[in-house]
Amino acid sequence: MGRWSEERVISAAPDSSSLAAARKLAHPGPWSESGSNDVLVWGKCQGSGKTPYQVSVDVVAPAYRCSCPSRKFPCKHALALLLLWARGEAAEAGAEAAGFAQEWAAQRADRATAKEQRQSGQPADPEAQAKRLAARLALMDAGIADFSRWLTDVARTGLAAARQQPYSWWDGVAARLVDAQLPGLAEQVREMASEVNARADWADHLLVNVGRWWALTKAWSQRDSLAPGEFADLRAALGWATASSDVQGKESLPGPWLVLGAHRSDDGRLQQQRTWLRSPEGTVVVVLDFASQGQSLATPQLAGALLNTTVARYPGSAPQRAMFTSPVEPQGTAAGLGDGGTIATALLQESAAVAASPWRIRHPVLLGNVTVSPEDAGWILDGDGQALPLLDAPLDSLLALTGGHAVSMFGELEDGHFRPLTVVVNEKVVTP
Amino acid sequence: MTWFDELRTSALVGTVRHEAPAPPPELGVLAPVGLSREEFLLDQAAMADVVRRSSRTASMPTDAFRITPAPVDSKTEATGEAARLLELLLHQPPVGLGLRNQLVADWLFLAAESRRRVPHRQLPALFLLAANDAAVYRALNPAIGTRGLWLQDVSPSWSPRSGPAQDNGGSGTGTAPGPAEPDATAREQLTSDWSSLSARARLSLLKIVGTGVRPDDEDLLERGLDDKAKGVREMAAELLNQLPRSARARRMGARLAPLLTVKGLLNKRFDIDLPPDPDAATLRDGIAPVPRNGEPDRLARLDTIILGAPLDVWITASGKSAEATASMLKEEPRILAVLATVAAGRNNLEWVRALLTVSSDARLLHCLPVAERERWLERHIRHGVDEPLSLASLLRELPQPWSGSLAEAVLKIIAGKDGGRLASVLADVLPTALPAESTQACRRLLDRTDDDTARRRVLRDAVQYQSFKQSLTEAFR
Repeated sequence: MGRWSEERVISAAPDSSSLAAARKLAHPGPWSESGSNDVLVWGKCQGSGKTPYQVSVDVVAPAYRCSCPSRKFPCKHALALLLLWARGEAAEAGAEAAGFAQEWAAQRADRATAKEQRQSGQPADPEAQAKRLAARLALMDAGIADFSRWLTDVARTGLAAARQQPYSWWDGVAARLVDAQLPGLAEQVREMASEVNARADWADHLLVNVGRWWALTKAWSQRDSLAPGEFADLRAALGWATASSDVQGKESLPGPWLVLGAHRSDDGRLQQQRTWLRSPEGTVVVVLDFASQGQSLATPQLAGALLNTTVARYPGSAPQRAMFTSPVEPQGTAAGLGDGGTIATALLQESAAVAASPWRIRHPVLLGNVTVSPEDAGWILDGDGQALPLLDAPLDSLLALTGGHAVSMFGELEDGHFRPLTVVVNEKVVTP
Repeated sequence: MTWFDELRTSALVGTVRHEAPAPPPELGVLAPVGLSREEFLLDQAAMADVVRRSSRTASMPTDAFRITPAPVDSKTEATGEAARLLELLLHQPPVGLGLRNQLVADWLFLAAESRRRVPHRQLPALFLLAANDAAVYRALNPAIGTRGLWLQDVSPSWSPRSGPAQDNGGSGTGTAPGPAEPDATAREQLTSDWSSLSARARLSLLKIVGTGVRPDDEDLLERGLDDKAKGVREMAAELLNQLPRSARARRMGARLAPLLTVKGLLNKRFDIDLPPDPDAATLRDGIAPVPRNGEPDRLARLDTIILGAPLDVWITASGKSAEATASMLKEEPRILAVLATVAAGRNNLEWVRALLTVSSDARLLHCLPVAERERWLERHIRHGVDEPLSLASLLRELPQPWSGSLAEAVLKIIAGKDGGRLASVLADVLPTALPAESTQACRRLLDRTDDDTARRRVLRDAVQYQSFKQSLTEAFR
């Protein structure tokens, strides 16, 4: 594994304050017994206490370990060590790994081996496996039946009464859905608890969502009649994950894959990253990464980058979720994203996508010849004189980059709004 | 009412009170039979969800949505190291926030000098910073280029008022800005409409005239002395204090002269009498009347007379130069303070210099040209005339960077035994006030063993600031 660049280290920082703290430690003074090999970088950092902190970093499959009590991850010590290593100022290669680093690496290797064995091992007992599946389905059936009853109760007493309910009422329903192994549905219910109070259009929003939840319960009860792709979409909407090992060997679509755009979110419990990719043939897929608090998300891919890699798609309707099946090697950047369409075309695409999979609420679109308007919270206008409101848009940044001129923009259509993820300016794909 | 409106109404109040409507015939959907009222509503809510999402239409914007695109930027964008340093300062500052803001302002000045502009994508972060920092705000133009000016026009988050008010302190050209151009309209209005204006209006107009009072305002101000309103009379008297050649000044001089007597043979000094009770003419000139109860404040009357009289009265009384006259008042701090008000108010440099030999009044110092002000401070610091901490506020107000010799004098104090206190007081200005040639001296001081963390921090900040500024200068070469 090659030495990281300083930019790579910066991108691993959980926030700017950690990075600022790390920069202050990124001089050889407080460091001792540092070294590196192909996989590990390690060192001891003298903090305010008597015993120096022991820092180890796995730079191949990024993972960090430090004996300091910080809740930031990676902590300032790990970042400082990486900065020094990136600059070649410490942690020179060739030394024998320090005891604490070796011990940590061994523990990680053991855990990885055990996990691999669990995943790749032959099903010990197909009968037991079938039994487990049957038990899960029974649990989900019961959960769906319970949720249907709750929905009919809501319909009987009215949405206005539901809005008056405390957060714990919604949370209770969500907890029962989690117990019934329906985490995707649970998450939607939990979000609704705050949305009914935060949104001006709460009544319409709750009504259509209650309708969608109802449709999910009905679809579940008729799951045996669904096509495999339809069932996969339903599974994803309910939160029944497909194991990556089931996807890994299924296919290997070659690149170069163009990074259309990416979006990161953090709701305090879970960090998510969506990376939209397009193959040379025009197939659009989305790679999802998740990380809980205290873990770092996969390194983000640069918008406009061409990635030399292969991907495999999860089952479901297009655009499908996908995963990388080989190491990702950037091989330059594209000068553009291709020809974008009009807003009307994008809405037609959304309409077709809803018809194919009514559970999907987000659709990737590439718009051409659009301008940004600062009216309200921001709008985009196309050459045909049609407009869409912007969602989560850094309006000043969009205005600064485009100068009010017509550009191509990639983003996500969601709830009648457009979330811009990339803009093509002066033959460069940039993130606003 | 549309089908969706009816459906919403039913859903809001619940099926107990309101049954869901039948699906609209144009959807071509037949409702299943045998459903409960709740199921019937939920089915339609599910249908409404997909119908709405699959039949969205775009909005047709009004003209208000359209903006005129930004004209092409005439300046070249700052690229390479210069762009990287600005990005670093804005997003991951390697120095404290105060220094960061000054370095951003420095970046903007250097960019303007080399006719380069801020990269477009950095404009929002820069504007956010400028909204909270006057130095950055002042430095925005012209480095933000055409796109920056355009963005200020169209961005809803930017308004001229979102920037902090421009202050007159800190770095700059080095001379205190002169008073604003007096408003000719205010003068005209007072002359033509004095009697028809309200007392409040007369007072506010007089205040405007006062921003640049001049000798030919005398008639107007004399009229003010006869005004019905006390506030107007006081303001007129205060403004006449600034006109030493006016008739009122002569009258005040005539009142002051008999009060001054020179005593002592070798060590000459003034013996100053208190003024008698005022007559009608004295009252008109703004001297306090005898109060109904209690003793009159005769010292305040003396102050009023000194404030209004020409300074030459003192020279005539002493028969000596202004400086020698001032030195005869060494033992009279109250009189010195009043004279400092007079000299500073009239910007009388002869008296300002004279009084500065016996007093360290900041108002006097501000009247001096920058170089002279620096020399005065340097002399006082080197000779230990005043406690260094008492000069801190004067040092803070000096334009930056300081001259090399003043910086040397200040660093000498800071390096001394109790210098940490002065370093702490000047912590926020010292890094930017010290000129580049002082960096070596700061480094030497940092190298020596020192337990005073405050002093070390200030010196480290000064070195960091200078080395970053050096990088900026090189990046723009």
